[in-house]
Amino acid sequence: MQGPLIDTLARQGITRRTFLKYCATLASMMALPPSAGLAMAEAIAAVRRPSVIWLPFQECTGCTESITRSHSPTLEGMIFDMISLDYQETLMAAAGFQAEEALHNAMKDNMGKYLLIVDGSIPLGLDGAYSCIGGRSNLEILKEAAEGAAAIIAMGSCASFGGIPKANPNPTGAVSVSDIIKNKPIVNIPGCPPIPAVITGVLAHYLTFGTLPELDDKKRPKAFYGETIHDRCYRRPFYDQGKFAKTFDDEGARRGWCLFELGCKGPVTYNACATEKWNGGTSWPVESGHGCLGCSEPDFWDAGGFYKALSMPADPLKIASAASVAGAAAGVAISVANRAKKGAARSAHETTGLADLEK
Amino acid sequence: MSLDAIPVHVINTPPAEPGLSGNALPLLREISELLRHLLETGATGTIDLSALPLTPADLEWLQDKLGEGEIAVTLQANGESTLNETACSGVWWVVHRNTQGAVTTQFIEVAWVPELVKAHPQDVKIGQESLELLISDL
Repeated sequence: MQGPLIDTLARQGITRRTFLKYCATLASMMALPPSAGLAMAEAIAAVRRPSVIWLPFQECTGCTESITRSHSPTLEGMIFDMISLDYQETLMAAAGFQAEEALHNAMKDNMGKYLLIVDGSIPLGLDGAYSCIGGRSNLEILKEAAEGAAAIIAMGSCASFGGIPKANPNPTGAVSVSDIIKNKPIVNIPGCPPIPAVITGVLAHYLTFGTLPELDDKKRPKAFYGETIHDRCYRRPFYDQGKFAKTFDDEGARRGWCLFELGCKGPVTYNACATEKWNGGTSWPVESGHGCLGCSEPDFWDAGGFYKALSMPADPLKIASAASVAGAAAGVAISVANRAKKGAARSAHETTGLADLEK
Repeated sequence: MSLDAIPVHVINTPPAEPGLSGNALPLLREISELLRHLLETGATGTIDLSALPLTPADLEWLQDKLGEGEIAVTLQANGESTLNETACSGVWWVVHRNTQGAVTTQFIEVAWVPELVKAHPQDVKIGQESLELLISDL
């Protein structure tokens, strides 16, 4: 398309040192050895920008907002200069015939080499009629675009796991990308929306090493989804001390105690919010005083209520007894309380996730 | 806008800094090893401080032990970075900040000169060309 990337960046006023600094930060974030920063910078600076096709399906555009609405000039914005974004309905100027032509040209010219980013789930109900673009169903478009893709990045919880469209009773029959495409490498970047640095990190890894980063059993990059929110939460010491906020405005809440009993899903949610934070590193949900919703986990919308403590049964008739168990636990060793809650939850046939807590 | 502009009164002062974890001392040995390597082979080394389980007190301890050197470099590149020599020549304390001033990464770099300070030959060439152009216009 054009010369080395570093020249493209220079034309936009991004100096080599800014770029080197960015790569050093990125390498650190991805837990790569410090020397990788320089290697990344050299590799990415010289690379020809890979073609990227971005297909939006049953989604709310929140994922696009997450990437494009971060602070400017952003590091995340910079990495979009590292790719040739050939089709993105929300961002592209073209419409109608020209837009579809751009898509097909990009697919034809870069057959077998382009990266496919998908945000949104794919509805299978009524032969896919719930979500169509240019008269064609999402299913049809995905299958066609996946055919020539080198790899697919499922961006956000909808594309990764079905997300909110798949929430009970799933009226559109929504499914994830990996439910449909079985013969291509897929990376899931869940989150509602995902953290901007995570997607740029995956892209940078692909540009540098030509491969996708190491993934876990849910196809998530381990560098960012290797630990739970709870593992890295700055409020964790309060959990360990058994200090919990009981309401959103009590003494405990004011003192910044653990939000576990207010329904925080941090212990069972794998994501990097606690370390990467949001809005240019300003804050993140728990720091703002609200528990984690678990938005990057499969079926988070149906996990039993955002304000219900993890181990509490979802059946409202049984909340009273569970709450009394929790009350009795105050001042007692927390592991004992956890076992009691786990027992109560098990008898109500609810998934507890508490086994994850007791390490 | 900084938080200072909002009339917020902090009721609970943050807890006292956690003490030393004991993880900083081995770093001094690693730095010493990197220096030996630099002297013998000329190869540079970097330690990513953000990736290590170091408490704020650990970092302070380490900074105190390494001391302040003669050179302090400031880099304005998408936020301020400082690349400061420690009292131990060849050991540089590198801090990258974002545009909001928050620390994004911290490194200890063992090198004659930190990598970021060096001018890249391609950039020097561009500089030379523009200087030539300037001279020819005079």
